[in-house]
Amino acid sequence: MKRYCPAIFAVIFFACDALSKEVDFHTEVAPILMKHCYECHGGTEAKGGFSINTRALWLDKKAAKPGNGKASEVVLLMREEDPEFAMPPKDKPRMAEAEIVTLTKWIDQGMKWDEGFTFAKSTYEPPLAPRRPELPKALPGRDNPVDRIIDNYMIEQKLKKQPELEDAAFYRRASMDLIGLLPDPADVERFAKDSDPNKHAALVDKLLANDRAYAQHWMTFFNDLLRNDYTGTGYITGGRKSITNWLFKSLLDNKPYDQLTRELLAPTKESEGFIRGIKWRGDVNASQTTEIQFAQNVGQVFLGINIKCASCHDSFLDSWTLEESYELAAIYSDKPLEINRCDKPTGKIAKPGWLFPELGEVDPKAPKNERLKQLANLMTAEGNGRLTRTITNRLWHRLMGRGVIHPVDAMETRPWSEDLLDQLAISLSDEKYNLKSVLRLITTSHAYRSSSLKLEKEPETDGYIYAGPLLKRMTAEQLMDAIRQVTETQPPGDTRASMKPSDFLQRALGRPNREQVVTSRPQELTTLQALDLANGEALNKMIQQGATSLLNKHKGKDPQDMIKLVYNRALSRDPSPAERNICRKMLGDPMIQQGLEDMLWSVFMLPEFQHIQ
Amino acid sequence: MNDWYDESNPSLTRRRFLQALGASSAAAMMTGAPQLVSADRGEGIEEIAARADAVIVLWMAGGMAAPETFDPKTYKPFEKGLPVEQIISTFPAIDTAVDDIKISQGLEEVAKVMDRATLIRSAIQPDLGHILHSRHQYHWHTGYVPPITVAAPHLGAWMARLLGPQDPVMPAFVNIGQRLEGVGEKEELKAFTQPGFLGSAYGPFNVPYPEEAGRAVATPKGMTPKRFEERYEQYKKLIEAGGDAYIDEYHEDSMRQAVDNAHALLGSEKRKAFDISLEPKESYDKYNTGRFGRGCLLARRLVEAGSRYIEVTTEYVPFLHWDTHEKGHETVKRLKDEIDRPIATLIRDLEERKMLDRTLVIIASEFSRDMMIEGVPGSNAKDQSRAKTDVLKEMKHYGLHRHFTGGTSVVMFGGGTKKGYIYGKTADERPNIAIENPLSVEDLHATIYTAMGISPKTMFEIERRPFFVTKDGRGKAAMDIFA
Repeated sequence: MKRYCPAIFAVIFFACDALSKEVDFHTEVAPILMKHCYECHGGTEAKGGFSINTRALWLDKKAAKPGNGKASEVVLLMREEDPEFAMPPKDKPRMAEAEIVTLTKWIDQGMKWDEGFTFAKSTYEPPLAPRRPELPKALPGRDNPVDRIIDNYMIEQKLKKQPELEDAAFYRRASMDLIGLLPDPADVERFAKDSDPNKHAALVDKLLANDRAYAQHWMTFFNDLLRNDYTGTGYITGGRKSITNWLFKSLLDNKPYDQLTRELLAPTKESEGFIRGIKWRGDVNASQTTEIQFAQNVGQVFLGINIKCASCHDSFLDSWTLEESYELAAIYSDKPLEINRCDKPTGKIAKPGWLFPELGEVDPKAPKNERLKQLANLMTAEGNGRLTRTITNRLWHRLMGRGVIHPVDAMETRPWSEDLLDQLAISLSDEKYNLKSVLRLITTSHAYRSSSLKLEKEPETDGYIYAGPLLKRMTAEQLMDAIRQVTETQPPGDTRASMKPSDFLQRALGRPNREQVVTSRPQELTTLQALDLANGEALNKMIQQGATSLLNKHKGKDPQDMIKLVYNRALSRDPSPAERNICRKMLGDPMIQQGLEDMLWSVFMLPEFQHIQ
Repeated sequence: MNDWYDESNPSLTRRRFLQALGASSAAAMMTGAPQLVSADRGEGIEEIAARADAVIVLWMAGGMAAPETFDPKTYKPFEKGLPVEQIISTFPAIDTAVDDIKISQGLEEVAKVMDRATLIRSAIQPDLGHILHSRHQYHWHTGYVPPITVAAPHLGAWMARLLGPQDPVMPAFVNIGQRLEGVGEKEELKAFTQPGFLGSAYGPFNVPYPEEAGRAVATPKGMTPKRFEERYEQYKKLIEAGGDAYIDEYHEDSMRQAVDNAHALLGSEKRKAFDISLEPKESYDKYNTGRFGRGCLLARRLVEAGSRYIEVTTEYVPFLHWDTHEKGHETVKRLKDEIDRPIATLIRDLEERKMLDRTLVIIASEFSRDMMIEGVPGSNAKDQSRAKTDVLKEMKHYGLHRHFTGGTSVVMFGGGTKKGYIYGKTADERPNIAIENPLSVEDLHATIYTAMGISPKTMFEIERRPFFVTKDGRGKAAMDIFA
């Protein structure tokens, strides 16, 4: 949701969008209104009974006629020459001509307003304590708490349920989401034939029981989140320490999330890389010392709080102050930590402390290791519903394509369903912080089992209403693994892409340099990426090896069977007659290596292949 | 040729390209990705008319010593026993096409085109307490000193995002000559050779070896153009045959558009620009002093074809090339041999094509070098010279072996800059710090952005915080250098 704090607008008054001629409300109009009108007519103020807060309020007061800027009351008032009537009032500066023109144009163009946007101050106070929502009555056969909440929500929103996924598509989705691998066609076939009504849950259990594949897959997510990597800046000078071994083992053992959190905050030698941050040799900006990195990373990773603003000055966007950021940083600091404001020392020493004293305090006099232990315990205290909401929201985002709160690091904003978020969070603590139990809760719901929304255009960013899961793009790591699976070219041993250093192709496909915490990957294929896929050496080589491998391993196979094999593996479905014909033509007669290469490339480049339905 | 690309109708092509960009940026918002917000902080709108349409940065990686190149000082030839503190320049100064501009011996060809140049002698860098090349290079290329809280975009990525390519089928941002694998500090190099939070659509098209650029846009190895074309045709049919049962229009279209765009380049005449072997021999030879020279040739061809930001580097490899920790004199002599003729040829070629006025060519480096001082006077940066001595004993001692951040030369040609002009000045005696018009990295960037018609205050919102094209929107262009 575009909910902007007024303070941001106060420093911006004009904006331009390089690509569009249409006046943009958000970047062009809103700043003008903030500058000239907000003080008397925005937020809680409504002089003369007029508030600019929402478009409806404008129309209520007949302040503007959409489609006719010149004849609109506001524009007439801006152009009024009699100082007694003109707006802004005579003691205030007049609007610049360019600003009036922009406003007029905006009204001419229909007064487009960002859906859900209001100049009213956000009144939302995110709760801290966990809450057990009252579950609505279950519809027949849909008693998963997630379904009870969502079914009720959809009824309230008068939305039709999405149809259920077919068995094969469900298998592919669950397998990709939980262990990051394409399913074996034989397994899919067996699953489709299985008449057990509980087979979906049984499949989820089977996948989650594959500890090794699970851990390898979720390394991608946690490496991004904890900015851990196999290579990267800082390692060269010992300014960074890997937590790979500890992390992998933690995932393999399905370490409870509270314990995992404690081990990151009050670490052993194996897990200390996270709080140590990345240290560059030489001097760094006061807002980027390892102590402040600690505060920023702890805030973002565990609490979905962005204290990057508040690392230099009190945040304009939320209530976090500079002092609070430094207090958190001081927990980690070896020596008294002086507060810097915008990189200038203030002379004030930060007292170690943390963001939610209502849950308990860190003893500022305790030694560092003790302070970290106290922080770890406070963070994972039962009363800290923010910890569980933050991680379960991230898991929901991974599985359903969009967070209950979105973006996932804006945990101070309102979720589209408080009940759902609170239910996810409390089920994590109910189940002793077992992450797999939350994954199971979500993936055994009918909500997860429904087909993803068919979008005709780009998804709405404002006023989001949940209507079903969204399609997800494969991660670079998933794509690499999937290609190797289809072509039977997996190297022996634990060599999933997520377990190895990044390479050119994966970087091009959106695997990040993990210098900063990353909580979502780009969802779009770009032209540069497409170039690398169309003619790049790396994919081309994989495909050549893939075709050789398939031809060797399936000597004498009928071309039609080869087509079926590839489709079954790659897309978990049979090719249609039309697809068969096109592929058959590509394969050549008789089937040749080059033909198979071209067909493999075409299948791997299908939007259907590169997405998780 | 694919179905929408029509060279006879560039505006259509451009529209489709922008649509594709639009689709990707709109979807990026879903993840809380950046939005262009403003070009101003309340002091009045700043609309800047672009003076240049393209930028070519000639990157002297590793720290080009100003006293040995564009800011010659007192020359002392090699002499055994000479106290090293007496040495500032190890090459004599030479005349240039401009009476009062002298540069260093070995740059005779560049000297002839200095009447087209603005020579900045007062660029400065912050004292970071420890010299790490890649950290200063990160700063120079993004305007931000690492570490920082969000991934800062490279200059080229800003240009790609804000201006796009000049020609829609061309990559906007091309990076020539730097390997990102198999070299020291490679992770640190990757950290800034990227589009940062702007997203991978605006990332660099990397061409480590200029002679292989043709391959980068040719059909894959072992594949004839006919087969490549046919594969693409069948692929499109296969998508159609899949229908909409398995994927929706939005996701299909946005991915297809990217693939279409890629094939538009691969199927376009423009791709010949990448193949430097197509250059007439006489011209090719003028450039061909080595990899850097061939990179300059490629840059010229790409800027003609419509790229926006091109960087050609002498390549950063720790302790090699401009990174002279010992044997400075000999190394710099070799480097000048490599850069002198191609740079002058590039300037002349652009001029001949009437492109110089609208192309800003910049010679720059992360910092300068000095015989004695590490960092700046008073810095506690560790001395990293490998040829420590009080008096010259052998040739390896002769040269500037310490990193100097107090006064660096930057040369600009074209793009609306003055001709035959000197901006700023360094002291003639050690320390050779900037004593007139010191120009910070932020201000240098502001100058470059201003030339390109981009306000230094342009800002994106990322993670609900402002992120400016120059740090905090405070970069101030050196307006004096514009004609």
